[in-house]
Amino acid sequence: MIAKKISANVVAVLIAVFFAFPTYWMVSTALKPTKELLSTGYDLIPFSVTSVNFSTAWAKPGFLQSLGNSLMVSLAAVAGAILVGLLAAVAMSRLRFRGRKGFVLLMLIAQLAPFEALLIPMFLMMRDLDLLDRLPALALIYFAVTLPFCAWTLRGFVNGIPLELEEAAMVDGCGRWGAFRRVTLPLLGPGLVATSVFAFVTAWNEFLFALSLIKDQTKETLPVWLSGFQTNFGTDWGGAMAASALFTLPVLVFFLIVQRKMVGGVTAGAVKG
Amino acid sequence: MKGWRGLAVGAAALAVAVTGCGTSTDGGNTGNSGEPKTLTVWLMDGSAPTTLTDALNKEFQEANSGVTVKYEVQKWTGIQEKLTTALSSNNPPDVIELGNTQTAKFAAEETLLDLSGDVSNLNGGDWLGGLKDSLTWDGKQYGMPFYAANRTVIYRTDLFEAAGIAEAPKSRDEWVSAIEKLKAANAADPEFQSLYLPGQSWYALLSFIWDEGGDVAKAQGSAWAGALNTAESKAGLEFYKKLVDTSGTTAPKDADEATPQQFEVFAKGKVGMMIGLPWELGSAVKADPTLKDKTAAFPIPSKTAGKTAPVFLGGSNLAIPQGSKNQDLAKGYLKLLSSKKYQDQLAEAGAVPGTSKDTAKLATSPLGKALAASAPNGKVTPTTPAWAAVEAGQNPLKDMLTAYLTGAKSLDAATGDANAALSKTLGG
Amino acid sequence: MTAVHTTDAGVPTDKSAPRRAAPGGAKRRQGSSFDRLLPYLLLAPALIGILWLIGWPVLSLFVTSFRKLNLKELTRGEVVWVGLDNYTSILTDSTFWEIAVRTVVFTAVVVGVSVISGLLIALLMRQLSPVVRIVLQVAMLLAWAMPLLAATTVYQWIFDQQYGILNKTLVKLGFDDFTGYSWFSTGTSTLAVIGLLIVWQAIPFLAFSLYAGVLAIPRDQYEAAGIDGASMWQTFRAVTWPELRPLMLMVSFLSLLWDFKVFAQIWAFKKGGPDGGSTTLPVYQYLEGISKSHFGVAAAVSVAMMLILGLLTFQYLRRLIKQEGAL
Repeated sequence: MIAKKISANVVAVLIAVFFAFPTYWMVSTALKPTKELLSTGYDLIPFSVTSVNFSTAWAKPGFLQSLGNSLMVSLAAVAGAILVGLLAAVAMSRLRFRGRKGFVLLMLIAQLAPFEALLIPMFLMMRDLDLLDRLPALALIYFAVTLPFCAWTLRGFVNGIPLELEEAAMVDGCGRWGAFRRVTLPLLGPGLVATSVFAFVTAWNEFLFALSLIKDQTKETLPVWLSGFQTNFGTDWGGAMAASALFTLPVLVFFLIVQRKMVGGVTAGAVKG
Repeated sequence: MKGWRGLAVGAAALAVAVTGCGTSTDGGNTGNSGEPKTLTVWLMDGSAPTTLTDALNKEFQEANSGVTVKYEVQKWTGIQEKLTTALSSNNPPDVIELGNTQTAKFAAEETLLDLSGDVSNLNGGDWLGGLKDSLTWDGKQYGMPFYAANRTVIYRTDLFEAAGIAEAPKSRDEWVSAIEKLKAANAADPEFQSLYLPGQSWYALLSFIWDEGGDVAKAQGSAWAGALNTAESKAGLEFYKKLVDTSGTTAPKDADEATPQQFEVFAKGKVGMMIGLPWELGSAVKADPTLKDKTAAFPIPSKTAGKTAPVFLGGSNLAIPQGSKNQDLAKGYLKLLSSKKYQDQLAEAGAVPGTSKDTAKLATSPLGKALAASAPNGKVTPTTPAWAAVEAGQNPLKDMLTAYLTGAKSLDAATGDANAALSKTLGG
Repeated sequence: MTAVHTTDAGVPTDKSAPRRAAPGGAKRRQGSSFDRLLPYLLLAPALIGILWLIGWPVLSLFVTSFRKLNLKELTRGEVVWVGLDNYTSILTDSTFWEIAVRTVVFTAVVVGVSVISGLLIALLMRQLSPVVRIVLQVAMLLAWAMPLLAATTVYQWIFDQQYGILNKTLVKLGFDDFTGYSWFSTGTSTLAVIGLLIVWQAIPFLAFSLYAGVLAIPRDQYEAAGIDGASMWQTFRAVTWPELRPLMLMVSFLSLLWDFKVFAQIWAFKKGGPDGGSTTLPVYQYLEGISKSHFGVAAAVSVAMMLILGLLTFQYLRRLIKQEGAL
């Protein structure tokens, strides 16, 4: 039994190495001097360490600005998708009405659409709305593509909260809204966190639309800024890795903060539907 | 913020449209008349030195009061996507830079302003032939040549000397023997590469194919078909393999000179030669300043002794989108750029200027000399609009090189497959 | 485990809330008409958002698939109808079918490997000492948090022919064949590397979700099975699997949706090469659309993609909607 336990832990550590290695490799490559980067020697552990790649990346114009743009767009999209999604989730989960099935189906079918293929239609739409070259266009698009998933997932989380709790609160004198606010909403906390993390990552990562709909360089998002390290003439590996590390950092911090709630799993609630 | 307000207006318009209580559903565009003009100029990353563009923009603004030049440097990554949307937007940029292999496509799709009437005004008599061809579609000119550069063989003079190679090779045979000598002289160092040549350096392959008298594709009327399966093309490919085998280069066979950037490898000092562009030597020198006095260049030699091989004339054209709202200003901008002052600055920066035949400023360095010597023998890729898709998508020439060099396919199979793929892309 | 599943949470007893008067007849009528409207009011923002921002573009994609729309028509706003030409041109091209099959097989493999690995890791997590479990969870978070663009860059670097740490390590371990081995010389091996990347980034989500599901299984069920002297496999079959089945189906469905549509990773590696060998439908769509500027053809490919994906998920969608009715 103990031997089994030990071997399980050993296997787990190996798996952990597999998952963590690319992050390690990103950071360690970023720390290597350019000359050692293209070395045929065995450099699993850097021979020497420099911060020059980080300062290059940091000094590359536009980092802070695009960080701000990315944060603004992603947070706006997430806030919208969570709020609108929650309203729809409550309706789908708690209320009976005609067309409910159709709406649930719509949430699922909307996820079939191939995102990259929507570039041209969405571009034309944003052009006609006079939103080209403006960050709200991106916020709207990210809102739209994450909304079906958010609404659907949140519905599962709402389903997971027994209706009796709300009813009990209502018996105790809360109105419907009061019961929802005092009972359901607090219990939904982890679900909201898990869902918004998911939406956030989607928006944070997006490259194609950010590249094509925004011309103004002061409105670049981070992925577009990052792509500057990969020119037609080649990749500045050290710089790209350092920039990638900087790009990863905000997400990672965010993840580690909400980590305890993440473990709850994004769909754990959803399946209860 | 302006954008968020636009969004609110849009949403309101939509709400009106949805509920059907229609007043005007106009998206709320308000014209901004009487505003000072802005000329938006898109040049590509690494094209012109900032000293040139700063001076140019300053002079242009002083000459045209009330005009602001909005100068934006674009990255090559994703430029196809960006141009597609920018050109279809309501206010496209006024001046754009297009790679010479891209220009035919954008001209044929009627997205560019016909500049045929302005050619003489833009120093047309001195335009670089290869570039002029690339921007000519259906007999009309859709742009102005910007600059060109071609590849030369950049080499280490000190290593050549140490290996007893007296002068730069003037024929293919001399080149190959130089590779062998260099390799023998440095046999003690396992990391040494006499010639650094990645497997997908397809612009270098173009030289060899052209030198054999072949071409990648042939025009049949208005249609193009691949010509990679001809004896000439095969001979070019074989010479490429000979270079790889003789030099024993350890460069990746499944990548081009960009991954890793070959100048970085060159800068590490364990490489005798590389086939590269002027800026690559510049970057290598920046990484290791001692290289400055130890490097020179010679034109890619021909199989006919004493001649230089035809080279791919890489470069850019400048064009004005049809949707530009400031076409006259844009023409004025091009005119200013075509003046001798700025053309000389381009030459000084190590490029073959697009609208000037004066390369005196270029030929001041050994590399510049090699460049100037081979530029007249410059050629371009097939001038068909479909060619842009070859480079923006899956390039069969690269696949062909990798397959043949790694031995995954025979010479016939590699060229046959690539030719079929190329014909398909050019035909569609 | 999250509070979501805690059914025994104490009911807040907020006595301070003002007690409302019993609703009278008139008020009740008003309330019930509001009640009838309420669901639609709640749904309205989501409905408008989806129909406007997804429905409309999809519709115009569908319309575009019957048009000739190249850069010229796009920049000038010209409308040229070509009927079914776009469809006939792709459907009669054998490469389309080759790519479609490749896409389905690739998706199936990636979904299968990632879901099964996710399940195994979820089961493993239960057996671990707390410290190791946290190490594993943080490691997985690292993978999950790495932005797509960064991850593809790192993977390309790891698998680099000359300087990649993988080849260097293999050579060090005595596999000399890997000196300068090219991982991207065939479509299959390129797809294998890309598949590994996708699986690597997909597992954390799957493992966390399934782990939550595993924890939700009441402990006494295991104890009962343990007393009966059941083997691990038997316990899994008898207790774990029935409880996890709905969750497994759900995450497989989601993975299928996502993995079928993967584009950025494949494009970033070799643009679907070499020789088109790693081209999947989303890449094909992109090549036709952005690279060749044949947006009509690209739209037809997209419609075909949605149909294929619809077919693949049809059974599951029907099931879900049926359950919906049973509620």
